[in-house]
Amino acid sequence: MTETVLGARLADGEWHRMHPLTPVVRSWRVLIVVLVFIVQGWGDNFARGEGVPELHRPDVAGRVLAGGGAIVLLVVAIGVGFIVLSWRTTRFRVADEALELHTGILFRQHRRARLDRVQTVDVVQPFIARLAGLARLTLEVAGGSGSSVSLSYLREEQALGLRNHLLAEAAGVHYEGAEAPEAPEHAALDVPVGRLIGSLILSGPAIGFVIGVIGLVGVSVIIGDVGPILGVFPTVVGVAGMLWGRFNGGFAFRVATSPDGLRLRHGLLEQRTQTVPPGRVQAVRLSQGLLWRQADWWQVQVNIAGYSGGGTDQENESGNILLPVASRYDAITVLALVLPDLGVREPENPWDVIHAGLTGSGPENGYLVAPRRSRWVDPIGWRRSGVRVTDQALLIRRGVLGRSLDVVPHARTQSLGVTQGPMQRKLDIASFALHSTPGPVNPVAAHLDAGAAARLLAEQSVRAESARNTSGPERWMAVD
Amino acid sequence: MMAEQPHEPEQPHQAEPAHRGEDDVFDPSGIEWTSVSPGLAAVRRTILIVQLAVVAVALLVAALVIGWFWLWVALLIPILAAAFGWSTIGRQVAAWGYAERADDLLIKRGLMFRELVVVPYGRMQFVDVQAGPLERAFDVAQVQLHTASAGSDARIPGLNAVEAARLRDRLASRGQAKLAGL
Repeated sequence: MTETVLGARLADGEWHRMHPLTPVVRSWRVLIVVLVFIVQGWGDNFARGEGVPELHRPDVAGRVLAGGGAIVLLVVAIGVGFIVLSWRTTRFRVADEALELHTGILFRQHRRARLDRVQTVDVVQPFIARLAGLARLTLEVAGGSGSSVSLSYLREEQALGLRNHLLAEAAGVHYEGAEAPEAPEHAALDVPVGRLIGSLILSGPAIGFVIGVIGLVGVSVIIGDVGPILGVFPTVVGVAGMLWGRFNGGFAFRVATSPDGLRLRHGLLEQRTQTVPPGRVQAVRLSQGLLWRQADWWQVQVNIAGYSGGGTDQENESGNILLPVASRYDAITVLALVLPDLGVREPENPWDVIHAGLTGSGPENGYLVAPRRSRWVDPIGWRRSGVRVTDQALLIRRGVLGRSLDVVPHARTQSLGVTQGPMQRKLDIASFALHSTPGPVNPVAAHLDAGAAARLLAEQSVRAESARNTSGPERWMAVD
Repeated sequence: MMAEQPHEPEQPHQAEPAHRGEDDVFDPSGIEWTSVSPGLAAVRRTILIVQLAVVAVALLVAALVIGWFWLWVALLIPILAAAFGWSTIGRQVAAWGYAERADDLLIKRGLMFRELVVVPYGRMQFVDVQAGPLERAFDVAQVQLHTASAGSDARIPGLNAVEAARLRDRLASRGQAKLAGL
């Protein structure tokens, strides 16, 4: 019934079901496992010269069923039945400026996401869903982890149409006509495949992987036993899987700007299109591993409320990446897209401030640095540990081997803290922390002079307060 | 803001003015800290004594088996631990403090590892009040503020029930007045 309905018409206030192919797309893994199981069994029979069981003969079918076939069949039937039932009970609607989702067979759940609280809207197409022309629409609201509303699966153009409608509603725009117009995009950056591969080769896991494999093969050859290889094989597979995941997620990574905010598209097998409306980025981190230094590559990560990050969920991990690898210029460009005004005023040059944050050390460009005595607790990193306050944001740089620069807009500061351990107390230093929403960026300026940290805390709480009062509206295009 | 506070039979105890200079970071000037209820120390000391009593009994049994000389050791260890724990708990509880300012709440804690947290009212998502059975016996409750950040560990243990309820309502109403988006 929903076949002919376009995206925005799904937002007519009525309850709708997901696409009928949803159960197949969701259970394809189970089906493949079962298929492999059956084919394997027949293959064994074949090898023993018994051939494929002649299932049309009742006695043979009976024997197959008795030999565990019945259990497999039952499990599959229950699983499929469950998935079909769950599809039947899943409904959603867009009404009263909210997206509502009704799920569950035994334990019913009714979830309502307010559109003015939208943090991001993602359209995700896992490989199988792509083959079927389906897509999943995920709406993140800032309710901590697990607060997102996920519609899986809709037809691709429906998902895109609904996304445009939801974004228009969230932005406070009213449009003419039946379909919400897609916000015009302006391509900003992309990540060449060569650079992505290069960045993965020059990463810790890849180097460890190669060294591990060479070492294991060497040991096995020397002792003439394949034991070591078999023993750590799972670890090797795990690392390879991680590298593959990063490649898959970072493939054809493109960043575009639109009135609806940043739009990220990426993925080889699983394609994701993320839309991050203005003002939703809580914190940004530009970071560089030791091996990326020669090429001057940087990774850009963000904290966005709702994307939990740092967890085992690979889906969330990739959601926090704004650019998997970029030249320094591109990384700063994307920082400027997220935070158009860094708050550095004349006669200072914002580029100088950022460059000093990325690679500099010492108090130039207005950085408040860790005092020399902090080398007793941080013998290497103390040289770069520093904080810079601008009119709009706080910049925290650290790391001498692997470098990073965290940028947190004052208006997005959640809370502040100062900590001091016993060693720090002896040295009269203290660490200053900004508390951001959960994610990869964890802005802490370690080992500042204790007095300076106290002043920073006092000033920053005033600055954050005034920035909050003057920050833009939640509905980024609403006309007041 | 302390002046608006309704009068209660048991006023929260004002922390004695700390020695200036050395402790500047965790005692910014012009802030009146409210310390937590001594009931918190009572709760923690009760737990300590119960735990040490169990250890003492175990050691006594062991001493009876091994020999009478060890009885002294068996008695001495728990008593020393109790004395040390008793005084540490007292100082730890005294180290907790909070202050309500116009726009934010300040919480300080810790002896060895000291921490000062500033939570703006406008960033508060919700407030929890918790009290277990032992806490209730000593009229102690914990108030915890939650922001959108998991990092802001803003809890105040050891408030008496009246103060906890007052603080909860006060924080909720201030949060309402100052509420900002994320």
